[in-house]
This record gives sequence, structure tokens and C-alpha cells, in this order.
Amino acid sequence: MTILEKPKQTLHTKDPNASFLSYMHQWIATSDHKKLGVMYVTTGLLFFLIGGLEAAMMRWQLAWSGMDVVGPEEFNRLFTMHGTTMVFLVGMPILLGVANYLVPLMIGARDLAFPRLNAFGFWLFFFGGLLLYFSYFGAQGLYGMGSAPDVGWFAYAPLTERTFSRGHSTDYWILGIGISGFGSIATGINLITTILTMRCPGMSLMKMPLFVWLMFIDAILIMIAMPPLTAAQIMLLFDRWLGAHFFDTQGGGSAVLWQNLFWFFGHPEVYILILPAFAYVSEIIPVFSRKVIFGYPLMVAATIAIGFISLGVWVHHMFALGLSPMVNAIFMGSTMLIAVPTGIKMFNWIATLYGGRIRFQTPMLFSLGFLTQFLLGGLTGIMLAVVPFDWQVSDSYFVVGHFHYVLFGGLVFSIFAAIYYWMPKVTGRMLSETLGKWHFWLLFIGFNLTFGPMHVSGMLGMPRRIYTYHPDRGWELWNLLSSIGVLFQIAAILFFTYNVLNSLFKGKKAGDDPWDAWTLEWETTSPPPEYNFPEIPTVHSRRPLWDKKHPEDPDWKYE
Amino acid sequence: MTQATAKSMPSASTMEAPVAPRRNLNRGKLGMACLICSEITFFGTLLATYLFYIGRDISGPYPQDVLDISVAPMKVVFNSIFLLTSSIWIVLAVKALRKGRIKTFACWWLLTILFGVEFLVGTGMEWYGLIVDDGLTIRTNLFGSGFYTVVGFHAGHVCCGLILLTIIFILTLCGYMHKRHTHKVDMLSWYWHFVDGIWIAVFTIVYILGTA
Amino acid sequence: MTTDELHPRPSEPQGIELPAPSSSPFTCAFGVTLIAAGLVTQWIVTIIGAMIMLIGAIGWFKEVHPDDREETIPFEEGPAAITARNQKVLRLMQGTRHRQRVPAEIHPYSAGLWGGIIAGIVMAVVATIGSLIEHGSLWYACNLLSATILIGVESQTAEQLAQFNSTSLIVAITIQVVMSIFIGLIYGAVLPMIPRFQLLFAAAFVPLLWTGLTWATISVINPTLQANIDWLWFIGAQITFGLVAGWWIIHTEKIDTMQNWSYLERTGMESPGIPSQGGEES
Repeated sequence: MTILEKPKQTLHTKDPNASFLSYMHQWIATSDHKKLGVMYVTTGLLFFLIGGLEAAMMRWQLAWSGMDVVGPEEFNRLFTMHGTTMVFLVGMPILLGVANYLVPLMIGARDLAFPRLNAFGFWLFFFGGLLLYFSYFGAQGLYGMGSAPDVGWFAYAPLTERTFSRGHSTDYWILGIGISGFGSIATGINLITTILTMRCPGMSLMKMPLFVWLMFIDAILIMIAMPPLTAAQIMLLFDRWLGAHFFDTQGGGSAVLWQNLFWFFGHPEVYILILPAFAYVSEIIPVFSRKVIFGYPLMVAATIAIGFISLGVWVHHMFALGLSPMVNAIFMGSTMLIAVPTGIKMFNWIATLYGGRIRFQTPMLFSLGFLTQFLLGGLTGIMLAVVPFDWQVSDSYFVVGHFHYVLFGGLVFSIFAAIYYWMPKVTGRMLSETLGKWHFWLLFIGFNLTFGPMHVSGMLGMPRRIYTYHPDRGWELWNLLSSIGVLFQIAAILFFTYNVLNSLFKGKKAGDDPWDAWTLEWETTSPPPEYNFPEIPTVHSRRPLWDKKHPEDPDWKYE
Repeated sequence: MTQATAKSMPSASTMEAPVAPRRNLNRGKLGMACLICSEITFFGTLLATYLFYIGRDISGPYPQDVLDISVAPMKVVFNSIFLLTSSIWIVLAVKALRKGRIKTFACWWLLTILFGVEFLVGTGMEWYGLIVDDGLTIRTNLFGSGFYTVVGFHAGHVCCGLILLTIIFILTLCGYMHKRHTHKVDMLSWYWHFVDGIWIAVFTIVYILGTA
Repeated sequence: MTTDELHPRPSEPQGIELPAPSSSPFTCAFGVTLIAAGLVTQWIVTIIGAMIMLIGAIGWFKEVHPDDREETIPFEEGPAAITARNQKVLRLMQGTRHRQRVPAEIHPYSAGLWGGIIAGIVMAVVATIGSLIEHGSLWYACNLLSATILIGVESQTAEQLAQFNSTSLIVAITIQVVMSIFIGLIYGAVLPMIPRFQLLFAAAFVPLLWTGLTWATISVINPTLQANIDWLWFIGAQITFGLVAGWWIIHTEKIDTMQNWSYLERTGMESPGIPSQGGEES
């Protein structure tokens, strides 16, 4: 494979003749889906570091009973900001950014359907995130001090009402999340339109890569699930500023309504976050197993099923509320039901691995890490779907362990897999395999050391969101283990940061197709030119590059 | 040019490979349809909240007292008819533009705007009556909170639509609108139909179910 | 706007037209954020934000009206030609059927159905013999099976369990029939996929796995029922079922999946010129 020396602008080198200002302007004014994708992911990773630091502070405080690293008020702010950051400012932008970058490349288009709307969506997210973090300086807290939101990431009413949350911190939460939510809706709509109207000749819906299918369903979920949150937040804002009574329990308002509205958004949101993880591993596992994905039509069907069912399971977050047994039973059933399509996916990935010539490179390691850890998170999820069990461990560290296995062990691991897999395409340079393996194993050990013991401390009755605990509960050992795990994770992230920076400047040249892969993004140069493809490709099967590499035995004859 | 290197030599087998036929969906309209889906879930949430709070007020004024159609029959129904018929005028306007008749387009477009403005004025008068005569504000009770939020957001969407319609109208007067803009104008008309459709839902829930 | 707007135009070979960069979306988003920020800071911020947003909106409007503003991007060096990295591709099967989906031949559903029913009957007989020998009663195993659904049965004494109970009988038969057919059908679908030792899989692996799972979890799921189970007979009955169902299914004639048939054959059309059941010619 010839490696092309490209004098034109790559992502990390700038034209020496251009001033810094014009370089910045190039990024600010861009409507190029690739640049926006890179900005999304970079911003997301920066917020990931901030959110991670907040988590590390909490783990330090909880490492032993009676520690005094942060006070109770600061602890409340930490877990609120950690949760909010990780969901809205890390998960959402990274998934939107990767989709932004890859969807047009994978379907053989030159850009998204509405390039300027795409830029608008990104900047809304960006400023929304800044506004949320400005609360640390700008919000007037109880004693006139700066105060970040401290109401938990799901901000249960009526504690968010004026009466209980003085000052502006909750307003910052509403406005920051609301604004970035508008950005997500805009990008979601953009993705749907792009996928439906801009596929290259020959790419029927059933010939799209699974990545595109999953992002399509994901975008539909964003489009349907985000507006209810915005509506609920606006009602809350009206309560706080105009004296409305929606969630004001003294005025006849209902706290349960907020929970319903929030989780009607909140549970699809979990699937909005995990579907991209499925999307990444669905591309990576076949390439590194040297096999075609097992059961493509069933994978598509399972994705659609997950999309549908995820809109009807939200009450399982409210089992401990005391709703009628019939309601609990129905939502227990639907929650169990969603395990079926997810299980189908799991089995299909394993079947893809089965009999393959597996290459254990870093993207594959992270994908396998995803498979095992997401499976564990899914299994504890089924346990939590059982109402009596949920009553026992609701709001305990068991739940914390469960959703970190899903979102950290699942989503974050797959995000790292995606970064190792696609970054050669983005920058034209490879990431180091050795450093990548260090990163993987340290993170794997650290992650399991942190979140595995949480299941035990949760079973022992440790509630979430407490800032310290008495020494006689038997929780110290498990908490200490969790906190030690954080050190491994910090080391892993340092390896990752160094690896990325090192690769940007000194990485090995990647060439167009470093992994011998099959989807369209590997057909163009790395990094791709602004117009993506000199000539819009025509595809005949789900693996267009396989067809070109093996003209004697193309896929389209058998699909 | 180096384009030739972009694709590998198509082999004999690829040449015969079938290419799936493609359908041309209009991008703008599809985007608008998605936006409308989004908006529907937004209003759905507000309306579900309104439904949830019907009959839960501890103090008046209650919707039965101030909103009942038999109490104030003409005002709201009259307004609704204005808004709903404006949908017909906008369809006629788009038809005219598609045929390239700019003047006819401008006439129907103006009529749509006027009917929309009438609706807004009507809503304003209704609110004035409710606030001054009945003493119902957003902070009075649950009914007030829900009513002003739902109807207010709908009126806001009408307002937004009217601004866009007016911009198009001004552009038409300045001679900037042509037949090739039909798609964009049609897109806007979809939005207007959506605002009307939502009003039917709001009307049913707030004025009929809510006062029963 | 048309679908092909961003696609290349053959008349301009020197470059490709893409939407021109514009800072209006940035300005607009900044304005929106300031409008919101005004709520929690100073009202003047909202006013400034509204003005900035207006500037952005007007700039944006100018980008798209009357036509989208575009710039031409000159061609860069194109990508390298695509060649196969590794010409050697390992195949599951050689020849014309190398793209076959395995299993190529399956047992008919009726095999699973009948296998399940027959094995269910034999299993019931074995379990009843077991209860006759251990407890001198025909109904012990039957009552125990119904206890998985009926409340209160599991806490009965061994004497009570030995008595005949019509409800228990009906429930036990229903469970036995449903489960036998269900497992039989699963066996019918799974067994052709097992490459070797199918009977071992059916008669030992699955029953042992199931018994092990039950044995390990029953103290949590239903501790009172646990005391009444004779594990030796339990596993004996399971193995009997697996043996009978597996033997029956393995010895049914396999049928070809329709994957090698042509579309016309799959639709069942018959006419001169169309070979019937094309699966065999390869």
C-alpha cells in the first residue's frame, strides 16, 4: 500500500503561513462533518477528563469511613456534575461526533444533509456544556458562594423547586442541559435525513453497514426521547421563575410526574448511549475476526426491537416508588423482554468470533472487554428488573455497579475501541499498539477493581450518594478496593493521553486501509479530503471493499 | 487528474453486479418531517401533563367555570376556524407558486398570514379576559400552570410560523421568490399544517376533555 | 434542494462544490446561550444574546437564500488503488457451496415435536417409577412438578406429596407437555448445528447443565422444595429425556434448507423448464 505524503491541511498540522486567528476561524466557521466530528469527540474527551476527576474526588472521599476530603455539600455537587457530565457532555457528544464523522463516509456521501445545522448543533452542545460548568463560578448558592448543581443527575422534584433549591444552580442545570439537548435533537434529525436521502448508488437500506443502521435507530430515539426532557425542564423552569405549580407538591403538583417524565426520557437515553457502542463493536469484531458479521438481518431486527421496547420500560427506575403491582409487573415484563434482542446481538457477536482468525489488536481487545463487561452489566440489569430484588437494592451501590458496567464497561470501552480503530483514518497516523495494550489492561483491571466490589457493598446495604459512612458497617474493605481501582484507571488514561498525543506527531503513517477492512470509509485517503470521495462510489453489497479486493468471489452474489 | 486511481479497475464481475434502485426523497421535507415528530413528542409531554392534572386542583377557578364552550361559545371556536382554514390558503399559495404564478401566491400567502394573526389576536383577547376578569394566571393553580404553558407554547409556535411567513412575504414583494423555491416554501407549509394539527389536539384536550 | 446537490457535477472536473464555511451557526448558537444565561445573570445579557442571535440568523439566512452558497474544493491526491492484502481466504467448504450457511441440512420441525412428546412420556414413566420405588406412590413426582407453579404444595410433607391430587395432576401434565415440546423443538433446531457427538450433547451435556443449574440455585429460588427432591432420580429423568429426544431427532431424515434453491423454486412454482428442488444438483 503506497503511503501518500500530503502537504495539504491534516488535522494536526497547520499551514505555517496562516495566522493562528485564521486557523481558529477555519474550525469555528466549518460546516465539514469531519471537522465537527473531531471537535465533538475532542470536547467530549476533555469533559471525560473533568467528569473523571470528579469521580476520583468522590472515590478518594469514600476510600475509608470518616474521611474528610470534601464536605457533604461539595460531595452533592460532585456526583451531580459527574453524572450530568458523563451522560450529556461525554456520552452524547462522542456518539454524535463519531456518527458525524463516519456516517457520511460509510454511506458514500460528501457531508450530512444539513451541514450548517450540524455546526449549529455542535456549538449549542459546546456552549450548553460551558454554561453548565460556569455554574461553579456564576451560580449564587445558599450563602452567596459559587455553587454547581447539587440535585443529582435526575434532579428529582420537588427538591429542585425554589423552596428547596435556593440560588441559581438548578437553573444552570436546566439551561445548560436544555441548550445542549436542542443541539442533540438537531444533529439527530440531521443524521436521520442523511441516512435516508444521501446513500450512494446501490446502497439500499439492507446493504448499509450495521454502524449506520444502529446510528439511524439511535437518531430516531434522540428525536423522540429528548423533547420530553426539554418539556419537563421547561415546566420546572416555569415553576421556579413564574410560580407555576407543576412539580410543587404544596400546590397540588406531583413529584411522581417529574419522575415519569424524566425517565421517559432517561431510559431511552440509556439506549441512545449504548446503541453506538453496539455500532462500534459491530464494525470492529467482523474485521478483527476476518469474518462477515453473523446474522445481519437479525441484528437489524434486534436493533429496531430495542428501539421500540426501550420506549416502554422507564418505570423500572421507579419500582421503589409504590406504584400498583400491576404497573410494576408490566414494566418488569417489558424490561425482561428487552433482554431478548440484546441477547440476540450478544450471541451474534460471539457467533462472529466463532471460527474466525482473531487478531488481538487494541481495538479488538477493547471490543472483547466490551462484550464481557457489558454482559455482566446486562445480567445485573435483568436481576434489577425483578421487582422484589430491585426493592432490596434500589438506590444502593449495587445499582451504581450495574450501570457503570453498562456505561463504562460497555460504552467507554467501545469508545476506546472506536478511537483505536478509526483514529488512523482521522489523523492518518496509527496509535501505538504497545501503549494501547498497557492502556487496555490497566483500564480493564482498574475498572473491574472499582466497580466489581460496588456490587458487594451495595448488597451489604450501602446507599448511593452518601458522602461518608460509619466504620462499623463492614463497607471499608470494598470501598477501599474501589478507590484503589481508580489509581489503575488514572494510569490507563495517562497512557491513552500520551498515546494519542504521541501518535499525532510521531505516529506511524497509516495508509488508506490499515486494518484490511471492508466498509467505504477505508476506500478514501487517511485523512479523507474535504469532499470525502473524488468520485461517489457505487456499492453492490454490504462489504464494498471485499468486492473490490476479491473480484473473483464478491459478496453481492450471495446477499 | 488522479481521479482514475480512486477506484480500482472494475472487474468483469462487478460490472454485472446489480445496483439497487434509489428513490429520491427530498432532504428538506424529510428534515421538516423529523422536526415535526420531535415537536409532537414535545407537545405530547405537555398535553399528557395537562391531562394528568385535570380535576386535581384544590382551588379555583376551574376549567369548567372559565373555558366551557357553552359559556363562551363563539370566541374560541371562531378563532379555531380561522387558524384551521389558513391551512387551506397556504396549500393554494404553494400550488400557485409551483405553477409560477407569483402574484396569486402572494395573495394567498397574505391571507394565510392575516388568518394566523387573527388567531393570535383572538388568543391574546382570551388571555386578557382570563387574567383580568377571572383572575387566572400561571401561578393561580395547576389549571392555570397547565393552560398557559400548553396554549402559550402553541401560540409561540404560531408566532414563530408567522415570522417566517412574513419574511417570505416580504421577499416575494421584493421579487426574490421564484418557482424553484417551491420546495422550501412547501417545507414551511408543512410546519404550518403541523401547528394547525397540534391546535386540534390542544382544543380537544383543553376545551372539550378538560371541561367535561 | 435536491438530493444530488452535493454530488459531483461532471461539467466541473477541477473540483467539487461543498457548502462554504460560515460562522453564522456559531454566532447563532452563542446568542442562544447568552439569552439563556441572561436568566441567571443579568437581563442585559439576554438582550445582547438576542442581538447576537439575530446577527447569526440573518447571516445564516443569507447563506441559503436565494441559493446555497458553495465553494469549490480542488482535487487532492486520490486514494491508492484497492488491492487484496491477503489473497489466501480460508473456506469452510470448498467448491460451489463455499458460501453456504451452515447447517446446510436440518431436521424438520416435526422431528423435534415428536421427539419431545415421546421423550416427555418416557421421562414421566421413569419419574413415576422413581417415586414408586422411593416413596411407594405413583403421584409423588407429579405433585413435586406441580409445586413449581402451585403455591403451598412445596411445603407439604412427604406423606401429603404421595397423595393423589387432581389439580396437581392437571398442572403437572400441562407443564410436562409444554416443556417437552419446547425442549424438543429446541433440540431439533440445535442438534444439526453440533458438529460431533450430538447424542452426547443431547443426553449428557444439556441434562447435566440443567440439573447443575437447578441444584445450585434452588436453595435461593425455592428452598422448601429443595428438601423433597431426590437428585439421583431427577438427573435420571433428565438424562432419559435427553437420550430419547436426541436419539429420535438424530434418526429422522434431514431436509435441505432452501438456501441453494432459486427464487422460483422457493415460491413453489412448477412449470416445464424449471428443475424441481434445485438444491441437489451441486
